[in-house]
Amino acid sequence: MTLAQLALTVLLLGVLGVGANWAGISAIPAYLLAGILLGPNEPHVTSLIHPSEVTEFVAQLGLVFLLFFLGLEFSLDRLRRTGRHVGLGGSVDFVVNGAIGLLVGIVAFGFSFGALVLAAAIYVSSSAITVKGLIDFRRLADDETDLILAILLFEDLAVAFVLGFAATGGGSAAGTLGTFAKAFGFIAASLAASRWLARPLDRLLDRLPREFFLLFTFALLVGMAALAKKLGMSEAIGALMAGVVLSETSVREEIEERFFSFRDLFAALFFFVFGLSIDVGALGRLAWLLVLAVPLTIVGKTAAGYAAGRVGGFTKRQSFNSGAALIAHGEFTIIIAQLAAGNSRLGDAVRSDLTAFAGLYVLATATIGVVVMKESKWIGRRLIPVPRLAEE
Amino acid sequence: MPVDLRETRLPGVGVKYGFRTSEGGRLAIVLHNDGMREIYFFRHEHDDEPEAVIRLDDDEARQLGAVIGGAYERPKIVEDLELALGELTIEWVPVPDDSPLLGKTLAECGFRAKTGITVIAILRDPEPVAGAQPTDVVQKGDTLVTVGKLGQYAAFRKLLAEGTL
Repeated sequence: MTLAQLALTVLLLGVLGVGANWAGISAIPAYLLAGILLGPNEPHVTSLIHPSEVTEFVAQLGLVFLLFFLGLEFSLDRLRRTGRHVGLGGSVDFVVNGAIGLLVGIVAFGFSFGALVLAAAIYVSSSAITVKGLIDFRRLADDETDLILAILLFEDLAVAFVLGFAATGGGSAAGTLGTFAKAFGFIAASLAASRWLARPLDRLLDRLPREFFLLFTFALLVGMAALAKKLGMSEAIGALMAGVVLSETSVREEIEERFFSFRDLFAALFFFVFGLSIDVGALGRLAWLLVLAVPLTIVGKTAAGYAAGRVGGFTKRQSFNSGAALIAHGEFTIIIAQLAAGNSRLGDAVRSDLTAFAGLYVLATATIGVVVMKESKWIGRRLIPVPRLAEE
Repeated sequence: MPVDLRETRLPGVGVKYGFRTSEGGRLAIVLHNDGMREIYFFRHEHDDEPEAVIRLDDDEARQLGAVIGGAYERPKIVEDLELALGELTIEWVPVPDDSPLLGKTLAECGFRAKTGITVIAILRDPEPVAGAQPTDVVQKGDTLVTVGKLGQYAAFRKLLAEGTL
């Protein structure tokens, strides 16, 4: 990749991002689209950039930053303080949409490890898109927003485990279980470290001159990502846990402030690079799977959100809003597919199908999801009559 | 009447505070992790869509908070209090940015000894000083809350601005 190519790429990302923003949808599908356009697959006229070691490396950094920020947000203390909805709402969503994901996975790949990965990719909604929607559509003051965010938090936790094995699982059942155990141990060790190491880390980072503070934090982040990879897991879980370790320190906010721009830049490039490897030509082969998965997702997410809302004591309209907000899929689906794409235990055909499917699936659900979320109150008013006394 | 304030955590977003207004509406205030504040106003408690949404950055929100909290205009209750004080008055006096007394303690300034005015509190960011002590230091940006007789204020303001009488 030359500098000129990079300049063109980033310019296109900016233009499409602004366009998406103007149209009221998330930037993630826009970045994927940019990757599809400039990538080596269809359309060939605009093929400009070929996946290389450089693009892979940039994507890896994007992945690391995305998960680092996720980790920073979830300290033990914060988890404890989040309300009652997490367990109940999260479980309903997990059972319903995990089952749908598994069904689609088995239809696509038979009883295999690939089916499990696909199930995970279909189960997780996009926190980024949903939270942006909640802010843009002025939903933060609504009661059901608590439930929506709680369900997303539960999903984030569940995904932490998936990250542990998506990159290296498969092969023998025992080997997959071993990877899972390793992931579990690594997460437990990091949570313990966040509790006991917070003070010494605080003192160390606080005393450093500002310019070196950045370097040390970055070293810790990349170091843990590399360590996780060395231990036979993915760099993603290492980065996530680096965030968790630092989440209890008093410098957390400063870290977030200083790394914000890095994350935004490299995350955009991450989605772009993923887009490069999406083969739109596979649409013919995968259309039937998308036609199965996308409607099932819309129904499954709406139903799960609705059920969780009704159980949690919300009105029918509020419950419907909760479900509608969860349809959009995004960063996690892509991250899971990206990790699986590097897993040599999955067959080549499965890997390229997973990548193409995840990309097209995110394009579809992210666009439909945002529209449904935006109009969910209007739809709710049409579909669900309100008991008389509430109005007036 | 105390307001029933409800606090909810919004994981990944921030914190939300909400309460019902006495006129039957509902207010929700969202403090975002990135410092943005939002105020949602619903005319009726169960309204679907907010009547108004106000977005403020950190500085604007603090300014608004200070204005609403009464740091600038003296609310009615303070006027009543002043009436009750009779001959005495309570005055809010901002310290000039170029005052020579910046960095000195109240004791060193000698306001009471020289002018008869007593400093009872200091308004400053982020935390006001309630019950000012002789060892408290006058800082740039402070507003002194004082008690004294009206006729003593000319001398007090001169002392504050010039350092001497």
